[in-house]
Amino acid sequence: MAEPPRKPPPPSSESAPPDLRKEADQVLQNLTKGSRVTDEFIREHSKLRSRTQELEQENARLRAQVEADDAVRELLAKIARLETEKKELLTRFAAAEEASNAFDERRREFESEFANLANLFVASNQIHASMSPRGVTRRIKEVLAQLVGAESYAMYMVDNQNEELVPIASEGVPADKLVSVGTRGTRLGDVAHRGSAVVDEEVDSSVANFDEPPAIVPLAIDDRVVGVIAIFSTLRQKTRFDTTDFELFKLLGQHAAAALVGASLFAKAERRIPGLEAFLDLSV
Amino acid sequence: MSEYSCLIVEDSPMMRQLLVFALARIKNLRVTEADDGVDGLRKLASASYDIIVTDINMPIMDGLKLVKRVRSDPAHKDTPIVIITTEGSQEDRQRALQLGANAYITKPIQAPQVIATVKELLKID
Repeated sequence: MAEPPRKPPPPSSESAPPDLRKEADQVLQNLTKGSRVTDEFIREHSKLRSRTQELEQENARLRAQVEADDAVRELLAKIARLETEKKELLTRFAAAEEASNAFDERRREFESEFANLANLFVASNQIHASMSPRGVTRRIKEVLAQLVGAESYAMYMVDNQNEELVPIASEGVPADKLVSVGTRGTRLGDVAHRGSAVVDEEVDSSVANFDEPPAIVPLAIDDRVVGVIAIFSTLRQKTRFDTTDFELFKLLGQHAAAALVGASLFAKAERRIPGLEAFLDLSV
Repeated sequence: MSEYSCLIVEDSPMMRQLLVFALARIKNLRVTEADDGVDGLRKLASASYDIIVTDINMPIMDGLKLVKRVRSDPAHKDTPIVIITTEGSQEDRQRALQLGANAYITKPIQAPQVIATVKELLKID
C-alpha cells in the first residue's frame, strides 16, 4: 500500500518548538510502523488466501480420489460377486451337461435295445408266420440274409441215424462245399453235440471260410439238437458279429427248428388241425 | 406340430415290418407300405409323401428304376429318397446318389441309423 503523503515541513522561519517536533516525529514513526504492519498483514493475508485455495484444491482432489476408490471397491466387489455367480453357473452347467450326456447315453442304450428287440420280434414273428416247411425255410433264410447280413450260409438237419448233418437249404455256397458232414469229429458235429453256438469274433466274417465257418448255430427243440446253421461269410460291409447277432442266433437256435418241425408235421398231416380232443387234456 | 408321411417300398415283408417298427419311433410320421416299385409308383400317384424309403433289389421294378421315375416326375422331384440295399460298394452308392437318392443305407439295417437318416432328411429334431 502507498505511503500517506507527508506534510510539508513548517517554514524554517517559524521553527516549531522541540516538544512539538518530537511529537511529530513520533507520529511519523508510528504512521510508518503502521504502514509496514499493514503491508505485512496484507502480504500475510494474500499468502493465507493462496494457501486456502491450495488446501481447497487438495481437499477436492482427495475427495475425488476417495470417491474413485469407493467406485473401484464397488466394482471389485461386483466382479467378485459375478465371479462367484459365474463359478456357480459353470458348476450348474457342468452338472446339466453331465446329466444330459448321461441321458443321451441312456437314450442310445434304449434305442439300441429297442432295435434289438424289434429285430428279435420281427424274426420270431416271421419264422412262425408260415406253416409250410418251404415257407419257414424261406423265412429263416431271410432272417439270416436281411437281419444277420449273412452272404453264404447253409442249414443242416441231423439224419435219422444221428450220424450226419444233411444240408437242406443254402445260399451262396458252392456245390462242392454243400455236402453232408459227420456228426463226429467235425466242427459242425461238435456244435451239434455241445448244443452251444460257436462264433469267431476275431476273424473278418465277410471273408468266406467254408472249412471253418465264423458262426455255427445249433438248432434245438427243447434240449435236443436237430440241426445246425453255418454262416460261411457275411456281406462285405459287415465284418464282425455284434450283440444283435448273438441274440438272433439264440432266437434261431430256439425257434427255427421248432417252426420247421412243426410245419413239417403239419404238412405231413395234410394241414389238418388236430381235433378238439387233442387240446382238452392240456389243462395245467 | 407338423405331420409327415413316409412311403416304404420293400418286397420283403420282414424288412417292411422292421422298417415300420423303426420309423414308428418318429413322432407324427405316418407310414405307408408298398410291395415293389410299381406298387410304390401307384401309391405316389394317389397321395403325396414327404419321404420315400426303398429297397433296391425288388421284383417287377427295382429301387433304382423307381428313383429314376420318381425324379422325372415334377411332383416328386424334391422328395427325399433313402435307398436300402445289400450292396455295400462305393460304385453302387454313387450310382444310387447320381440317380437322385438322398441317402444310402446298407443291410443289415440298424434301426437307429434309419431313424437318424429319415429325421435328418425331414429336418426333424
